[in-house]
Amino acid sequence: MRLTLTEEQRELSTMLRHLFADACPPALVRKMKEPGSDGIPTDLWKTLAKAGVFGIAVDDQYGGEGAGLFELGLVFAEAGRALCPTAVYDTLGFAVALARLGSAEQRAAYLPRLVAGDLRATAAVGNPSDAADLRPGLVAQRTGDGWSLSGTLMFVGNGATAETILVTARASAFPEPERTIGVLLDPARDGLEVTALSTFAGDKQARIELHDYRATDAEVLDRPSTDDLAWVANALVALQCMEMVGGATAVLERTVDYVKVREQFKRPIASFQAAQHHVANMRIAIEGARLSAAQAVWWLGRGDVARRAVAIAKMHASEAYKWTTLTAHQLHGGMGYVRETDLHLWSERAKVTEIKGGTADVAAGWLQRELGLAR
Amino acid sequence: MEFELDDDQRAWREEVRAFLAENFSPELLTLRKERGYESNDGVLLDFRRKVGEKGWFGLNWPKEYGGLALGPIYQHILVNEFEYWGAPGPDLTVTSVAPMIMRNGTEINKQEWLPPIARGEITCAVGYSEPNAGTDLASLRTKAELDGDEWVINGQKIWNSQAHVASHEWLCVRTDPEAPKHRGISVIMVPIDTPGIEIRPLITWDGFRTNETFFTDVRVPRTNLIGEVNRGWQYITGALDLERGALTNAGDLRRAVDEIIEASRLVRSDGTRPMDNPDVRRRIAQLEADVDVAVLMGMEAASLLETGGIPTVAVTAEKIFSSELRQRIADLGTQMLGLDGVLSGSDPFAVPGGGFEKLYRSAPLLRFGGGANEVLRDVIAQRGHGMPGYGR
Repeated sequence: MRLTLTEEQRELSTMLRHLFADACPPALVRKMKEPGSDGIPTDLWKTLAKAGVFGIAVDDQYGGEGAGLFELGLVFAEAGRALCPTAVYDTLGFAVALARLGSAEQRAAYLPRLVAGDLRATAAVGNPSDAADLRPGLVAQRTGDGWSLSGTLMFVGNGATAETILVTARASAFPEPERTIGVLLDPARDGLEVTALSTFAGDKQARIELHDYRATDAEVLDRPSTDDLAWVANALVALQCMEMVGGATAVLERTVDYVKVREQFKRPIASFQAAQHHVANMRIAIEGARLSAAQAVWWLGRGDVARRAVAIAKMHASEAYKWTTLTAHQLHGGMGYVRETDLHLWSERAKVTEIKGGTADVAAGWLQRELGLAR
Repeated sequence: MEFELDDDQRAWREEVRAFLAENFSPELLTLRKERGYESNDGVLLDFRRKVGEKGWFGLNWPKEYGGLALGPIYQHILVNEFEYWGAPGPDLTVTSVAPMIMRNGTEINKQEWLPPIARGEITCAVGYSEPNAGTDLASLRTKAELDGDEWVINGQKIWNSQAHVASHEWLCVRTDPEAPKHRGISVIMVPIDTPGIEIRPLITWDGFRTNETFFTDVRVPRTNLIGEVNRGWQYITGALDLERGALTNAGDLRRAVDEIIEASRLVRSDGTRPMDNPDVRRRIAQLEADVDVAVLMGMEAASLLETGGIPTVAVTAEKIFSSELRQRIADLGTQMLGLDGVLSGSDPFAVPGGGFEKLYRSAPLLRFGGGANEVLRDVIAQRGHGMPGYGR
């Protein structure tokens, strides 16, 4: 047990912080959220690929660095600080899902391209509002030597621009019992209709509707275990929690910077005890989120499904990020309320991530099951 | 980062657990619950001696001072286990006084005090607060004046817990009345049986005893002063950080949440079970999530201490978080039982393990004690984020 970062981990975080500060300024974030934007930061993408970010947790046989999920968590934390466009998270999440669920051939087909920065992808595993609900949103019928998929998926992250989408489906192949399969979808194929959703945060989510979409066996991730699927869903939540911790920390820092220079009654408002207590409360909440998120991503990195740790991390991260932004608005007053100051960009991301995967109430339900208090 | 105990740490935890299983009986636990921190008499004293024989009071000290030279993480694991099982373990003498002597004491101080503390023979009452110097501790007025080779002490301390059972007083005194208030303070070790000391009991809401202690022309050798004269404020503010880390170890909170979960499954006198109420379940889940964070904060503080620093912001955050969590635990523990929750733990009709009223009465202490949380929030803002002081 040793809850401090290693020298290597610290260096990685520092490198990433500089990289995102340079390549992902608020102006880019703002541009990506505009209604006309496709949400793909082309130059940032190249920079990230060049720095090896897409391959950090990918095995070296696919061109990656072979570091663990924990290190990928450090990437999410630094990306979260800078409000990195979500297409990056979704592509990284796809790699995590495929590495756990895919066959060697499937991994070899996608991961090297992804590592090189040449693939935009996303994963939609289970209920986007409750990560522990793994019931597939699609059904798949055996048809000859392939599959026919139908159904609707809501809130697929960057579903309108992804070049491949990893989904799950309830598979019927008479006379075998029903089972869950994974499928790698090609959005360009017939039978798949993508509708971009308009969200208040301007992040890119899509509704995907399938009518007799045809998939081959080579595109199917067969017989993933319940634990495999739960691990993937939990890994995506835990990585998002790391992102949220990074975002909350950035908000805390910019808020402290502001109250130190904002003067009222001839003194900086940072010198008022009420302001200091707001800051202390933000810091304490973020500490809890930071430690619990790191714990979750660490156990997942060890292969553990980590249901308890993930529930705890999501409970803390959801509330800490949201309340940090809301308290930041209070401390900024009007200066944080106008759109030209950037605070609202974090506030919007905090609200989306609070709900995505499950609110604190939803995650508390997972924890109640772990404690044997609920089914 | 490593969130799992390594093999050596796990073996250590097993050793501590085995020791407690063998030596800390349910009868001792009952006694401990009745007497609280007054743990230095009778069979509890025997238990304390056994812990001392293991060398566990000085487990993270250098060997030259009678220690075992194990790291802060080992101390953290031990204290956690002791707290979880309700056993009296290393107290402030070990976790705060001794490290301060080690950091700041003269060689004579170290040789004189550290080995007997390690053996469990010396326990200190910590004499900081005075009637007019509480949160504003630096205003303390108890004075020590040099007379030949002796310090002569006059004044009064309050909230002087354990003074009636301790062997020594770890006393904060003013040694330079002319200097600015933070620069005229020293620390002196005073044997409790020195003539001129009078101890009067103060009984607190949780049923335990603390004291007010009066010093009238109390004389101790000049060498009993710790480190350098007039440097005491720096010493004790450093020690307060260590104290906070030790005070807020979450082992007992972990136990309390476990007991709430157990009690929530039991049938109350009105025939209902707390766990069947979804609002109660939601709040239990919150306590579980929060106690996990309190545990992690303790582990992080120990990890930071392992690198040799005093992790001020980490232990301050931990102290605030866990002391406020303690009140929420006690609150739900009593509420969820309905009126069964107001029964004394000793009442024959009390729900087993349902003595949360005791926790409810003891919880306020740690929120204002060891540094009021309001001041500690200032500490986080000012020392953690460089926000300006305002003349505190």
